[in-house]
Amino acid sequence: MRSLGLNNHKPYLLVLPALIFFSLFVLYGIGTVFAESLNLSLNTGSSIVKYYIELAEKPGFWSGLILSLQVSAAATLLSTIIGVYLARQFYRRVPDSIWHALAWLPMLIPHFAAGYLAVLLLSQSGWFSGLLAQVTLIQETSRFPVLVNDKNGLGIIVTYLWKEIPFVLLMSMPVYRRMDWRYEDVVRTLGGGQWQVFKTVEWPALLPVLVETGIILFAFIFSAFELPYLLGVTYPKMISVMAYQWFYEGSWSNRPLAMALMTVSTVMVLIVAVVLLGLIQGKRYRMMRGR
Amino acid sequence: MKKLVSVILLFFLIFWVAGCGGSNEEAAQEQVTAGQAENILQKEWAEIEKLAQGTEIRMFMWGGDENINRYMDEWVAPQMKEKYGLTFTRVPMDAPEFMQKLLAEKKAGSQKGNMDILWINGENFKNAKTNDLLYQPFVETLPNYQQYVNQQSKNITTDFGVPVEGLEAPWGKVQFVFLYDSAKIPDPPKNFAELAVWVKANPGKFTYPEPADFTGNAFLRHLLYDAVAVDKLLSTGFDESFLEENARPMWDYLNSIKADLWRGGETYPQSLTQLDQLYSQGEVYITMGYNEGRAEPLIKQGVFPETTKSFVMEPGSIGNTHFLAIPYNTPNPAGAMVAINFLLSPEAQLEKLDPAVWGDNTVLDIQKLSEEQKNEFAKLDRGASVLPEEVLQKALVPEVGPEYVDWIKEKWMHEVIGAE
Repeated sequence: MRSLGLNNHKPYLLVLPALIFFSLFVLYGIGTVFAESLNLSLNTGSSIVKYYIELAEKPGFWSGLILSLQVSAAATLLSTIIGVYLARQFYRRVPDSIWHALAWLPMLIPHFAAGYLAVLLLSQSGWFSGLLAQVTLIQETSRFPVLVNDKNGLGIIVTYLWKEIPFVLLMSMPVYRRMDWRYEDVVRTLGGGQWQVFKTVEWPALLPVLVETGIILFAFIFSAFELPYLLGVTYPKMISVMAYQWFYEGSWSNRPLAMALMTVSTVMVLIVAVVLLGLIQGKRYRMMRGR
Repeated sequence: MKKLVSVILLFFLIFWVAGCGGSNEEAAQEQVTAGQAENILQKEWAEIEKLAQGTEIRMFMWGGDENINRYMDEWVAPQMKEKYGLTFTRVPMDAPEFMQKLLAEKKAGSQKGNMDILWINGENFKNAKTNDLLYQPFVETLPNYQQYVNQQSKNITTDFGVPVEGLEAPWGKVQFVFLYDSAKIPDPPKNFAELAVWVKANPGKFTYPEPADFTGNAFLRHLLYDAVAVDKLLSTGFDESFLEENARPMWDYLNSIKADLWRGGETYPQSLTQLDQLYSQGEVYITMGYNEGRAEPLIKQGVFPETTKSFVMEPGSIGNTHFLAIPYNTPNPAGAMVAINFLLSPEAQLEKLDPAVWGDNTVLDIQKLSEEQKNEFAKLDRGASVLPEEVLQKALVPEVGPEYVDWIKEKWMHEVIGAE
């Protein structure tokens, strides 16, 4: 059956290219970042986690971390909810070609370009503000509400919504297509309404996809740099901007702090991913057993 | 699973072994290159030029300015090809990034890199010098340096307070100016007190980039010089407790104008680009920049209003020199030196000064030029937005060390932003 045990090794050999890629670029990268975030000159008698302690005491770190969490959570949740809502609306009413075009257009625009668009359209000297002043809805452009470079990250969230809702739409649309709609008839026959249909027919099928989409979105938004840099404020700064500035500033004294911050954000993303995936694993198991 | 682990381990082992082999070879090579380098610096200039003939050089430089890029690609590169047979390639990269690359190469023990010339100054030079990332002192070897540069000037011998020691050749110099719209401000402020009065009278029309930005930090250094004279700072040296005691007026000033800044001082532009954008849209009336001629091309392109002019205030305008360095692992030191020498020639410096080209001030001592060359420099009209050379010269104050940049950055977060 097994000639020289080659068959036994085959699956491993097949995943080898992916494995090499993963270990070289991802694991090696994360490993290097982690190693450089540690204080390895132990002869001075200082703690190995010296830079993490420094990080926790750094002005702006905690408020930045909280802002990052808030913005990522808000943008992820809102784009998921709105995306699913749109998918439900579009599924039967809008022809494929049209919603495809609608969804792909924002997807094709890079994040930094979306950021510049937000500045051009939404800033106080921007297009909308000028338009409103022109039709005398506001007296002067400085009366226009502060939507970009605002302390709560509103501009960042809005721009992410514009970019990520289409992503959720594209991810959830195939689920709707594969769904067995005979179940809907069952619910309806038994007197269930819209909500019952969503809860019992659509939700169980959507959940695994939405959790994966959510993790991707959260991880991306939590660590992405361009939108917070373009649309954020001086204080508090989202941690991705902080890490970037510490890493690239002229003097290299804050480099280990940038590494520690990147390690912290990697760990946070991993925790969120593990918790959410754990949740649906349990759920899937129950679903398999027929609850 | 066990097999999977062993496969991974095997791979790491292979890479590790390969890595070791490489560094031994390179160690041997290192001695060879070091030997060659000394020879090159002892050679006659004509011989160095001959060595450079037909070779290639790669210059790593910040690529964010189209005018600068065009000067390098369309004027410098063809001239070098014609005069010295050098194939010149400009590689656009931000200085911190190529410094990072060089540091990584040093850590990996590489003796043959792919960079020949670096455009650096200030903190990047300090990092490079302290980490031994640069080639031997080569500047004195350059004929144009010997002939045209004032070797006594503090602007040439130090770079942000760090002694240059022949490790980098001066290329150009710039001075900090404020830019304003003369249609909106008839009479620009002459000192910080007048600026505060103007800001109070025109709420929301002034701001500065945050000090993590190069220009924003330079703006705040002027304010520091206003609180403590620059001579005093230079003679005292960087001393945090001295600054704590004497720089108080600076933070009080910033907090007193804060409420009348753009967006009520709630946020600041993160970069000069953002401030420029606010200025071009008329949201603020003043922008600034560490280059006395920078408004000219922007006016021509229609980004800035045509009524844009510049001004300097008491206690002066900070100026600095930017330099060209050769990395320790250049594959072509002779070519790099020939290229740098050419960039220091009166013709290359004159072309660079032309506002239609770049508008960067020369590092040459005008007094050392021939009458004909002097005339050509005098003839050049730098544009209506550029202050006359006498005004700039009179206002010029030197840079202090890079420690101040960090100190201002950190302190500003506490004092002005109130970050916890």
